[in-house]
Amino acid sequence: MTFLALTNVCKVFPNATTPAVDNFNLKVERGEFISFLGPSGCGKTTTLRMVAGFEFPTAGAITIDGKDITGVRPNQRNIGMVFQSYALFPNMTVADNIGFGLKVKGTPKAEIKQRVAEMLTLIKLEQLGGRYPYQLSGGQQQRVALARALAIRPQLLLLDEPLSALDAKIRVSLRNEIRAIQRQLGITTIYVTHDQEEALSLSDRVVVMNAGVIEQIGAPFEVYNFPKTAFVASFVGTLNIFDARVDDPARGVLRLADATILVEPTHLSGLRAGDAVKVAMRPEMIHIESTGAVDENVLTGVVENVAFLGAVARIHLRVGEMTVLVDEFNNPHLAVPAVGSTLTCYFAREGCIVLS
Amino acid sequence: MSQRAGWFAWLIFVIGALYFILPLFGTFVFSLQKVRGSLGFSAYEAAFANPDFLRTFLFSSLIAALTIIVSLALIVPTAFWVNLRMPRWRGVVEFITLLPFVIPAIVLVFGVIRTYGKPLTLFGIPLLPPLLNTELSTNIVLVAAYTVLSLPYMYRATDNGLRAMDVRTLAEAAQSLGANWFTVLARVILPNLRTALLSGALLTFAIVIGEYTIAAFLARPMFGPYLQLQVRNRAYEAAALTIVAFALTWVAMGIIDLITRQRATPLTGGR
Repeated sequence: MTFLALTNVCKVFPNATTPAVDNFNLKVERGEFISFLGPSGCGKTTTLRMVAGFEFPTAGAITIDGKDITGVRPNQRNIGMVFQSYALFPNMTVADNIGFGLKVKGTPKAEIKQRVAEMLTLIKLEQLGGRYPYQLSGGQQQRVALARALAIRPQLLLLDEPLSALDAKIRVSLRNEIRAIQRQLGITTIYVTHDQEEALSLSDRVVVMNAGVIEQIGAPFEVYNFPKTAFVASFVGTLNIFDARVDDPARGVLRLADATILVEPTHLSGLRAGDAVKVAMRPEMIHIESTGAVDENVLTGVVENVAFLGAVARIHLRVGEMTVLVDEFNNPHLAVPAVGSTLTCYFAREGCIVLS
Repeated sequence: MSQRAGWFAWLIFVIGALYFILPLFGTFVFSLQKVRGSLGFSAYEAAFANPDFLRTFLFSSLIAALTIIVSLALIVPTAFWVNLRMPRWRGVVEFITLLPFVIPAIVLVFGVIRTYGKPLTLFGIPLLPPLLNTELSTNIVLVAAYTVLSLPYMYRATDNGLRAMDVRTLAEAAQSLGANWFTVLARVILPNLRTALLSGALLTFAIVIGEYTIAAFLARPMFGPYLQLQVRNRAYEAAALTIVAFALTWVAMGIIDLITRQRATPLTGGR
């Protein structure tokens, strides 16, 4: 059964010509971890703030567990929220910060003390209850903010780019910690981020947004491998996108510059010979050594550049007017092609996506 | 910085310091010369022995305290709301709060006397009796006038304090935890504005203690007119009182500095 539902939600700010969020529809199951992914200004934070009650929709409805909360004030929603800037109260200790929500609700002191201790154990900061926020590192502050949001036993947890202000290593460890805590508590969670790696690694489902509208909703694997729109394809992961023409739709033949390539014929259903399409392929789906009959597509070009990215070496291959990105997984014996040399690359038809 | 530029900076500093210190030093030396041919504190003894000193100082302190309370009640919610919900109105509010800098106190007090010296009416309907007829109502007008006079200092201090913290996010964090607006203001915003409010309060205190024009024209027994009277009749005592007033101001600034140093820690951010 749907736990959180956003139905036809729109938000138009005063004096704005275009809506910040337009016709947003989403159903979230209890215990699900959903990420809103998109570039700055795509409406993801505005949507989150409408769920929190800090903004009210211009149209549409928001329900939690069947109850309409569209017009309910934020302090009456029982929704925990974690902010990008931590938003810990500087005048309070860690323990007081965590217990603040319970104190506001008039919870007995002994119960607050017990709950604060539980939360400190949960975030592994048992010894730091008496410290002030300025005495903590950024990662510790964000863990306290998470504990504070969870202490009130919220029905929903919202996280607004909580890791953006942290350095890369802490970001990775803390995001794993957030996911582990979410699984442990089984709390329904919405996570806003512009970092695709975060969204893909954390979420049960990802909502990709652009210019106020949902581009695609799906599991991370689905969004990455089967993008429905050119925007999703270009925003999630690195992608080669080329203009091509349909040559023989029944056999899945496309004309790509001077070469002919094969794609799954099902991708070309409804298209006719001569139609213009965009064909996309992930750099890691292209190989510089043929793996056999599967790699039926072949492109030959000149190596423009080779960038070593750690896990992969990214080769920029000039093929006619196009630059094809090819990722080769790193290994100590990898033969990196020289810049200026001629190189042939191969890819299977399954690796090609035809975008609408 | 080159050595020459460093010397020049020091020269400017020394000239500036002398400009402020020499008159003060002169006044201090003068205050010690009440008894001809010797230096002593008899002017101070005489000044403190005068019961009017304590009476006017205490009355001014009371008016200053009331002014601070009224200012805080008026300015804090206004500045909070401007920062949180009406940032577009910031310019208008700042302009209004700066008006006391461009309207001389003499103009302000004449406006007050003309408005509140007679019954206040609206379309011929009497709203208030003349407020300058009794001591109590005149004191109320005095506090109101000083509240206006202290607007620039109190608003600036409060606004700076609010800008130093992320008011909007802190307020939203508290709301998401179940707090209403009163709780947000009382438990989250005000405790973090402590230093800023103290700065504004002490500046207001200093202004009210030394103010002459409004107090004199409203004929209230304030410290400013008392000091002016001493200057006219007892030059040495007046010099002594000036030094005392300076000392009180320094003490106030010292308190601000002490508190600011103790709280000179980042509001957010990591180690």
